[in-house]
Amino acid sequence: MSVSTSPKTRKVRATVPPRPNKPRRGGASRRAPHWWVPWAFAAPGLALFGLTTGYPLVRSLQISFYQWSVLPGTASQFVGLGNYVRALGDSQFWNSVENAGAYLLMTVPATIAIALAFATLLHRPMPGRTLFRVIYYIPVVTSWVVVSLLFRYLFTTDNGAVNWFIQDIVHVVNGPVPWLEQRWTAMAAVSLLGIWKNLGWCIVVFLAALAGVQQDLYEAAEIDGANAWHKFVYVTFPGIRGTVVFVTIVQIIGAFNVFPSILLMTNGGPAGSTEVPLTYMYKQAFSFLDFGYAAAMSFVLAIIISAVSYLQYRFTREKKEARS
Amino acid sequence: MKRSLALPAIALVAVAGLAACDVGGTGASQPAPSSQQLATGAQVSGEITFWHAYSAGGGEIDALEKTIIPAFEKLHPGVKVHDVQVPSDQMHQKLITATAAGSLPDVVRADIVTVPELAKLGVLAPLSDDMPDFQDWAGKMYPGPLATNKYKDKFWGLPLDTNTKVVIYNQDALTAQGISSVPKTLDDLKADAAKPGAGKYLFAEGGSGGWNLLPFIWSNGGEMTNPEVTKATGYLNSPKTVEAVQMLVDMYNAKQLPSNVLGAPGAVQTSDGLAKGMYDTIVDGPWTFPNLTKAYPNFKPATEPMFSGSAGSISVVGGEDIVMTQQSKNKALAAEFIRYMLSPEAQQAMGKVGQLSAESALAADMASYAPYYAPYLDQLKTARPRPATPQWAKVDDIFTKQVQQAFQGKQTVQQALDNAAAQIDPLLAQG
Repeated sequence: MSVSTSPKTRKVRATVPPRPNKPRRGGASRRAPHWWVPWAFAAPGLALFGLTTGYPLVRSLQISFYQWSVLPGTASQFVGLGNYVRALGDSQFWNSVENAGAYLLMTVPATIAIALAFATLLHRPMPGRTLFRVIYYIPVVTSWVVVSLLFRYLFTTDNGAVNWFIQDIVHVVNGPVPWLEQRWTAMAAVSLLGIWKNLGWCIVVFLAALAGVQQDLYEAAEIDGANAWHKFVYVTFPGIRGTVVFVTIVQIIGAFNVFPSILLMTNGGPAGSTEVPLTYMYKQAFSFLDFGYAAAMSFVLAIIISAVSYLQYRFTREKKEARS
Repeated sequence: MKRSLALPAIALVAVAGLAACDVGGTGASQPAPSSQQLATGAQVSGEITFWHAYSAGGGEIDALEKTIIPAFEKLHPGVKVHDVQVPSDQMHQKLITATAAGSLPDVVRADIVTVPELAKLGVLAPLSDDMPDFQDWAGKMYPGPLATNKYKDKFWGLPLDTNTKVVIYNQDALTAQGISSVPKTLDDLKADAAKPGAGKYLFAEGGSGGWNLLPFIWSNGGEMTNPEVTKATGYLNSPKTVEAVQMLVDMYNAKQLPSNVLGAPGAVQTSDGLAKGMYDTIVDGPWTFPNLTKAYPNFKPATEPMFSGSAGSISVVGGEDIVMTQQSKNKALAAEFIRYMLSPEAQQAMGKVGQLSAESALAADMASYAPYYAPYLDQLKTARPRPATPQWAKVDDIFTKQVQQAFQGKQTVQQALDNAAAQIDPLLAQG
């Protein structure tokens, strides 16, 4: 639509007049297209979205209001908000949310800080830079299942590599630490895996953002006598601020959705103390066939994640406005 | 303001709309059981699908696909059995999704604890109604494995293979620690538990679920539920049950029981610890033997019956049942295939690759295939199934979590079992 008013189009129109008796292919550019044209272009993508995301979403919302019967042809009992009320009063569910929150606090700030540091180092010209970039990205492409099992063996109480190192090599503990047998040590072990696994992706995104920071700003800062730290704080960080916010939001959503590492390293134990929302929901649905309850919990979790993301967005946006 | 009101309004309309959606068919909680009689020796034709979790490594799949199914197809020319291997840890989920999708196979080799659940869902055909020769087959089975098929006065399957757990021990480790003979009773276990010393244990248990602790509870004279499986209070929190769990908790607190009992993935596996001399005794199933032979060729494991208590030596039944689905379009062929899977030929072929038959008449055959089968066959005479309830997964989860909190010292054993019984009662009441 904007094309028809641009000076370029006007010029074209002036030099090459359209033939009146034969409509041209480019005719659409001169008047507004039919309302359905953009929809037609979007249709394949929308259909795919509707089929793979929209329908399951609506269906699971429906299931969340029922005592759902798995067997087709049998009646499901409508319980209204019963499953939601049950979730709000379920201490095990809130315990799982608390664990996800702890995982978030243990992984997201550390991942972002380390990724930022490594990205800054890898951004400079240095020998073997590509090799290091590949090495840091390898954990991202490895299977969650394989590395979760690997970490489980590393943190084995008896004869585990971590205990061997801290007990026999650096002598910081007297006896083996039962890493996966207590809530917080288990969460720490799972968090270490989370940091290690997500680091590469964050580094790559930060590297892309760092490449976009104008070089002349660094030169100007140098003329002003800025050292490396000043340049990072006053030039680099403001330049990649948007990317940092984006990475943080993605990491927070990811932290709430932690699943395979918990399932394989602790399976939520002992006594359900390391359960996270996804493992708890998974068990409710597929072990106990309580699909309605699991669906309701997934919507409660979605509300929590949305609220956290919204608050974070508001927080960062206000700061931005205050700066400008 | 308008906008802020619009969203909840839309949500409300959506909820109302969803509630009005048709989510059920007939309104019946279960489809009507079939009343057809699937007579033995009937003319059969067509095709069926059979889901199982036989392992590929130990020769079970070969026995099924190269011996049993070809022999069955030869016996009934023109029929075809499609077998599908599903990893055992995915079987439950796959059965549930297939139930929802209406794509269940004709015959399933189902874990014994899932049969009442599937029966309650209405996906199984009641074999005690549909097979006129059901009683003949039932009469051949050990009572423990057979009982796992019962739900609401009907039998929904037949035991295809069975197993139980016995005490497996490391004689060299016992000798080295100056323990003259392997503990035979719960009292022996308690008395000798302190002898092995630091870093070594007289006994190790790999978890705190029903599968792990019920042999101790039953042997001590305790119970998990009443015989009708309708009530846990008065049974699960009875003095005898509490005493059995208390003994293990005391051992754990005295560092006489390794952390495996918490289901901890961080501890050395019970069978590995046994072979390495860290654990003197474990209570485990027949699959331990081939695994140990493979991993530790020089280790010679020995066996004893489950530690006995005031009620005797009572272990827990494991294994699989063979069931037929209501959705099967060829029940006559499915029934004939079930009969063949339970025939001596098929049971013997499976016995040779590690699947213990639940038919008592085949005990001598089984014992001849592997020397380590004999103690299991003896133990099966008194072994009991876990309470047959469709709610077993939830019941076991509650029991495990409460008991683990007692092991962790967060509550007393009595409190744990009182809590567990109170939470389990309403589940059992649902039937």
